[in-house]
Amino acid sequence: MVFKNIICPVCGGSCDDVQVDLDTKNRTIDVQNACKMGNAKFQEVVSSHRILKPTIRENGKVKDVSWEEALEMSADILVNAKRPMFFLGSETSCEAQEVGLHIAEYLGAPADSNATICHGPTVMGIQESGMVGATAGQAKNRADMIVYWGVNALESMPRHMSKYGVFPRGYWTKRGRFDRTMVTADPRVTPTAVASDLHLQLNPSTDYELLSAMFTILNGKEPHPSVEEITGIPISVMKQTVEMMKEANFVAIYVGLGVSSSYGKHRNIEIALNFVKEMNNYTKCNIGALRGHCNVAGFNQLASYLYGYPFGLDFMKGYPRYNPGETTCVDLLREKDVDAAFIMSADLVNHIPADCAKYLADIPMICLDIAPCPSTTAADVVLPGVIDAMECDGTFYRLDNVPVYFEPFTDSPFPETKSNEDTLKQLFAKVKAKKEA
Amino acid sequence: MEALLNTGSTIDEGRLAKGGNKYSDDYTKECAVCWMCAEDYTALGCPGKVSVTSRDGKHTVAVYPKVTEAMRSGQVFIPRSIWANVVVEPDTFSTGSPRYKGSPVTVEPTNEEVLSAEDIVLKLYMGGE
Repeated sequence: MVFKNIICPVCGGSCDDVQVDLDTKNRTIDVQNACKMGNAKFQEVVSSHRILKPTIRENGKVKDVSWEEALEMSADILVNAKRPMFFLGSETSCEAQEVGLHIAEYLGAPADSNATICHGPTVMGIQESGMVGATAGQAKNRADMIVYWGVNALESMPRHMSKYGVFPRGYWTKRGRFDRTMVTADPRVTPTAVASDLHLQLNPSTDYELLSAMFTILNGKEPHPSVEEITGIPISVMKQTVEMMKEANFVAIYVGLGVSSSYGKHRNIEIALNFVKEMNNYTKCNIGALRGHCNVAGFNQLASYLYGYPFGLDFMKGYPRYNPGETTCVDLLREKDVDAAFIMSADLVNHIPADCAKYLADIPMICLDIAPCPSTTAADVVLPGVIDAMECDGTFYRLDNVPVYFEPFTDSPFPETKSNEDTLKQLFAKVKAKKEA
Repeated sequence: MEALLNTGSTIDEGRLAKGGNKYSDDYTKECAVCWMCAEDYTALGCPGKVSVTSRDGKHTVAVYPKVTEAMRSGQVFIPRSIWANVVVEPDTFSTGSPRYKGSPVTVEPTNEEVLSAEDIVLKLYMGGE
């Protein structure tokens, strides 16, 4: 059966035009319009390696158990821990994340999400400077200059250039690519850089210096000559870039982890945001983050709405606290500041530094996921995940913080649960029962 | 050789990770790879495998070298994966985000075996369990 306008649950692009032909009899799925990553994820609905049974690790051996046993053991781990950590990953709905946040609040635990190891510093930069933003549709229809700074859009969000950024024909950009100038700032010669009109191949971790020099030029001053050697970019090219931006009608800047993960972190973002504010004295200019994980923006929105902080929350004192570097998951694990972990819809062991991953593997860990991965290998309890936007409905937030409601085209393969939200609600009930017994 | 480590997405890393194939040979071939320029590769003696060691010397991971014009001398790139994160520095500069880009590392020729993602978890993180 063919289903149209399915939302893709892979990256922050949340493409809403995916067409799926699901043959339940032969267990095949044909996917149209999705990128390589999207297509791979849709194949998970019929894949042979899908996690279909809960497991627990007992005396070093992994064994299948019933849902009831797995949930009981999960609740035991969380209730008996002095300081359990919740990592509410982004490849699931806001509705599931909300239940996870409520469990963390109930237990007085820290709660974090992929933002912390992704665009967390970007969010911190926004807190410092404020942000001149726009929806992806605004950029599509108006932007005649696109800047990808520290991001390889073609490989991290493959359809961004074709759907929102560079190639689509917009209302005021009717000739698509021909109406747009494209600039990339990246130390590597990425496919995105190759596709650009201008590639600023700056030295690694010199984003702050380059942005600062361009800010100086924008203010009509001459930057210090040493900036050429530091950044690897001639001042004449910086001037040319600033001039191109000033002459454009609408500049859309997209930043990636090249800015927020390099030396300087949130300060890189802060100066980029200030540069954008200043640029608005000359032309329309906005900035946005290319969010790599599906609903990573959703956690920021949800946590901010519910508790006032976008990530790295800690409920230990009975009220939410936020102190990146102390209450964020990598720091909690590096400092061995938690004694159990609940990981949902994210392969945390794969994505954090070795010291943190090793400690995470040492402590009791519950992992909710759909396929075997380093986190499920190291977990003490594995709960099978339901695939959002394919097997259950819910809400994602797109890269530009636009909420997108998604509906499934098939059912959850588990009679015990309808969605990850449902699984977490069952877990919460058990946690409450044990805690209040 | 001292170098600055950059990590990030590649399209096939994304395809294999999102498709739940992190324990496949294809994933190891795509991600257990250290990109470098020809000049640096030649300076290392054109090895079949290289070890990448973190600045504090605590962590080392063996990967395959890949020569590419995408890199400049003194810079190496490993696709975002468990191999890269073995040597990524855990300090977050009070932001929560480790130093995925710009960690200083040492790259040397090696005869060590290139471990699969599962073996890294079992041998390095779980103590050979």
